[in-house]
Amino acid sequence: MRTDDLIAQLSSGLEPVKRGAVGRLLLGAAVLGMLGSVALMLSLIGLRHDFARAIVSFGMWTKLVYTFVIAGLGFWLVERMGRPGAEMTRPLQLLAIPLLAILLMSVLQMNAPSADMPRLVLGHSSRVCAFLVTMTALPTLAATFWALRKLAPTQLTVAGAGAGLFAGAVGAFVYSFHCTEGAAPFIAIWYTLGIVAVTALGALLGPRVLRW
Amino acid sequence: MIAQEAQYRDWMLAALMGDATAYRMLLSGLTRHLRSYFARRLDSGAAEDAVQETLIAIHARRATYDPSLPFTAWVYGIARYKLIDEFRRAKRRPTVSLEDAGELFGHDETQEAIARRDVTKLLDKLPAAKRALVKDIKLDGGSVAEAAQRTGMSESAVKVSVHRAIKSLSEELKGEELKQQGHGDADR
Repeated sequence: MRTDDLIAQLSSGLEPVKRGAVGRLLLGAAVLGMLGSVALMLSLIGLRHDFARAIVSFGMWTKLVYTFVIAGLGFWLVERMGRPGAEMTRPLQLLAIPLLAILLMSVLQMNAPSADMPRLVLGHSSRVCAFLVTMTALPTLAATFWALRKLAPTQLTVAGAGAGLFAGAVGAFVYSFHCTEGAAPFIAIWYTLGIVAVTALGALLGPRVLRW
Repeated sequence: MIAQEAQYRDWMLAALMGDATAYRMLLSGLTRHLRSYFARRLDSGAAEDAVQETLIAIHARRATYDPSLPFTAWVYGIARYKLIDEFRRAKRRPTVSLEDAGELFGHDETQEAIARRDVTKLLDKLPAAKRALVKDIKLDGGSVAEAAQRTGMSESAVKVSVHRAIKSLSEELKGEELKQQGHGDADR
């Protein structure tokens, strides 16, 4: 086909693009993915048995806020990565805030007079935590990849990592409703490890899955 | 900033609101940059394919343009991605350095743009009817017969009119050259 004909064809019947189309696409995918993660968590490992009491506990909120903030920044990163020429330094810099906050809380809890180190650091589920976070994240990772493919990521490894960071944080958020741990050092180590694992998985899959 | 940024961005914003005319001008304009960008990096068949692939990608992913960012950088990101994709398909893996959008928009276009502007300026000195004839026949490659039919003039009248217009333009040009030579002499 001649290029002139192609241009004529592309511009005839041009549809206007709604403002915020990219944000809506990503948000829709995020909600769908998160629903998938919730369904997976509920069906395979279930809600924590003391949920009604736990939802008002400090440990529960530590997990929820930590993972939610990272998920928010991850969402922002993915939104930038889908646009050629966009900068992503800002959300990357802001990632330091939740990381420093959880580190600070860990140091405070470990230096308390009655600190019980094994419980704070290892709890009773350190062996499965990162793995279960990764598993819970998978539906969200799939949905984020699906949406990102419709955008225009140009650095596929980086974009895959961003999708993994977002999905990992959502997975960790959802997993919080199953997990009974609440110590800051535990969260800082094992939740973060789970999120990092999904980020690495995303980076690995990016170049294969995200091509357009 | 890249010279064409403002114009292209305006067209793009209009296109996003559904303005097909602006969109066609945008794509035609971009095609020239894309041709020269790919021609310097791929062999000719692959280059034209890459131009078309890039145009299609621009179209399919136009929603990803964020109006708060430079438009030329957005286009360059897509063109560069398509170039790397083409290399990948050809099983070659040369690195494409992270140049900036200037690489796509900077090349040789200024000379061409100046030439185009000069011609337009020169044409503006002709009366409207003659200008239209010269543009149709000499620039856009239309036939004398078509022009005659459209204007209701005879073919020979069209030819005479175009001939006279060109003659007056060339006199105009000579005048400009003399003026410029005057300046040049002062330099030498």
